[in-house]
Amino acid sequence: MNVELAKPFIKAAVDVLSMMAMISPKPGKPYVKKSKTAVGDVTGLVGITGDMNGTISISFTKNCAVTIVKNMLGDDIQDILQDVQDAVGEITNMVSGQARAGLAEQGLIFSGATPSVIMGDNHTITHIATTPIMAIPFTSEAGEFTIEFCFE
Amino acid sequence: MSMLTGFRDKSFLDKISILNEVATAKDPAELEALLDLFQNPLDDTSVDYMVVTALNGVLSSDEQKAVELLDKEEGKLRTLCIRVCGEFQFKSAVPALLKMAEGDVDPDFLFEVLTSLSKIGGPEALGLFRSNINNDDDLIVVMSIEMLGELKDEESIPALKAFVERNNEDGNYGVCDLTTWKAVECLASIGSDDALDFVVANLHHRNPTVRRVVTDSLTVLAVKAVPYLTKVISPETDKDDMILAANVLGFIGEKEGLDVLMDAIEKKFSTDSSVKYAIYEAIGRIGTMKGVISLIDGLDDDDELITVAVMTGLDGLVNPGVTKKLVEIVGQGGSKAGKILRAIVTAKAVNIFQSLYAEEKIGRFLMNAVVASKDSEVHEAFRAKLTEIGGEAADADIARLPEAVEIGGKKALAVDDSKSMLALYRSILTNAGYEPTVGENGQDAYAHIQLGEKFDVIITDMNMPVMDGMEFVSKLRQTEGYADIPVIMVTTESEYSQQELARKTGVNDFITKPFTADQLKAKIAEYVS
Repeated sequence: MNVELAKPFIKAAVDVLSMMAMISPKPGKPYVKKSKTAVGDVTGLVGITGDMNGTISISFTKNCAVTIVKNMLGDDIQDILQDVQDAVGEITNMVSGQARAGLAEQGLIFSGATPSVIMGDNHTITHIATTPIMAIPFTSEAGEFTIEFCFE
Repeated sequence: MSMLTGFRDKSFLDKISILNEVATAKDPAELEALLDLFQNPLDDTSVDYMVVTALNGVLSSDEQKAVELLDKEEGKLRTLCIRVCGEFQFKSAVPALLKMAEGDVDPDFLFEVLTSLSKIGGPEALGLFRSNINNDDDLIVVMSIEMLGELKDEESIPALKAFVERNNEDGNYGVCDLTTWKAVECLASIGSDDALDFVVANLHHRNPTVRRVVTDSLTVLAVKAVPYLTKVISPETDKDDMILAANVLGFIGEKEGLDVLMDAIEKKFSTDSSVKYAIYEAIGRIGTMKGVISLIDGLDDDDELITVAVMTGLDGLVNPGVTKKLVEIVGQGGSKAGKILRAIVTAKAVNIFQSLYAEEKIGRFLMNAVVASKDSEVHEAFRAKLTEIGGEAADADIARLPEAVEIGGKKALAVDDSKSMLALYRSILTNAGYEPTVGENGQDAYAHIQLGEKFDVIITDMNMPVMDGMEFVSKLRQTEGYADIPVIMVTTESEYSQQELARKTGVNDFITKPFTADQLKAKIAEYVS
């Protein structure tokens, strides 16, 4: 696992969320975890293949996800569950795309799969690789979220 | 003439194919035109993207120019050059890169410079990496730690130790910091006496993930770690440390670790049965013929748990000598013979079973012990073996095995990474009237919970690979319908702090290894009526 791979994802997450959801996330102290439990209630997960294989996930707390959706869609929320699912998938997709563009500038070519969204309290995230998972917690005015990386 | 003449007026497809050619040809003559396209983009994402690729290609064949641009340029072109110099390991870029990192620089920019230097490699940047080991940006710190490990910098050892120690302080040991992980790996990579002694000492770190990282790093070091681990196997050492070191020696599985383990048994370094258990288990994992002697000696121990550990170890090492010895001991009869036969059954030591099966009387006794077991998985394992053996006698014995036994309906889940401990749990639990389900680690066990299986009690080990006991319990407690199920944690670690953490996570009670079957049954009975 290389930190240099993580950097573009962190930057992309901050960029995407501040642009789309008008929040300003602040990264906290990164840590390592071995378990597969998500640290949030809604997770967008995307597999990355190319020069290395791995998975990236972004887990939002319920409050954070809902606030983001409200910021994105205004008060025009039809079905909160459906909208949260769509929004988190879309955000994950954008983060993955922007980060991969950043990595391509470093000569690392990746392609990303379509993100999947998992919901439920303390659900399990299955990262494909067996190496330790690096987690970076973020705080924002909307609440907390965590990005996890796992590269082989 | 340059391929890029009149580029801006070309059609989209032409642009792409020209850039493709430029990227492959890597002709420095195209540089000026490319730089212009890069600085004044065409505002077409795909084309601009290709420009970057082409520029990368051209600069990769012109080290001098790439380094020159480092000094002259600013902004995104400079960043691109920093990356190119790293990607293609342009050594002549090092002085310029080092200069850029001086003074008060933006952390993102510093990260770019450090990444580039780390790819180029070499000792020139050592000082820079050292000076950033306590940077405010954790990713910069981690990058620096990785490089200090690669350069095997002994001077950084105190600073590296500090990361691990800070993570072990009261109030700091809840999670494993990224820096701690990298510091442990770095110390293992430095590999000096001082560094490795420290890593071994942290087998007992208060954070479970850190302990895993330490175990993994030592296992990767393999033979190199053995001398440091053997130091811990001594009469003066704390029993928990001895157990953890014996475990790692077993994981490493190199015969170099065997002598000290055999010594520990012979010279009775510890009388504690959980220590002996761990040592026998490690000897079994190392699995040489020399270890067999120790294992056979272990049969003299009165502790049933140890006999199970010995049988688990011996099962992979069966040879005519082992068979002869077992026939001899069991042939003498008495309580010892009974204990050994029961242990063969409990450990599901089917290879030993096979070697003894042909021995008239002993084969019969052993078969009776199999039939007497209440555990349907035991029956399953031996049924498979008997089928493999084949023949009339075996067919008759298969017929003696009961089909799946229906027990009282109470269910228990036992989680442990040790095969012999699981065998023991199965035996004790079936005996106490529970239908046992076992898991090799937290994740394995949690799979049963996810399927919605209900249990009356859960018994779990604390330290396990993949998902440890603590994480398992915390997941379990957050799963609907499992908030109140009694959880008993089996531990060798007597420290208060660990138990405190476990209680907060949702463990109801603890039982300390070693324990007898009756003690465990009594503990379960406190929670299940």
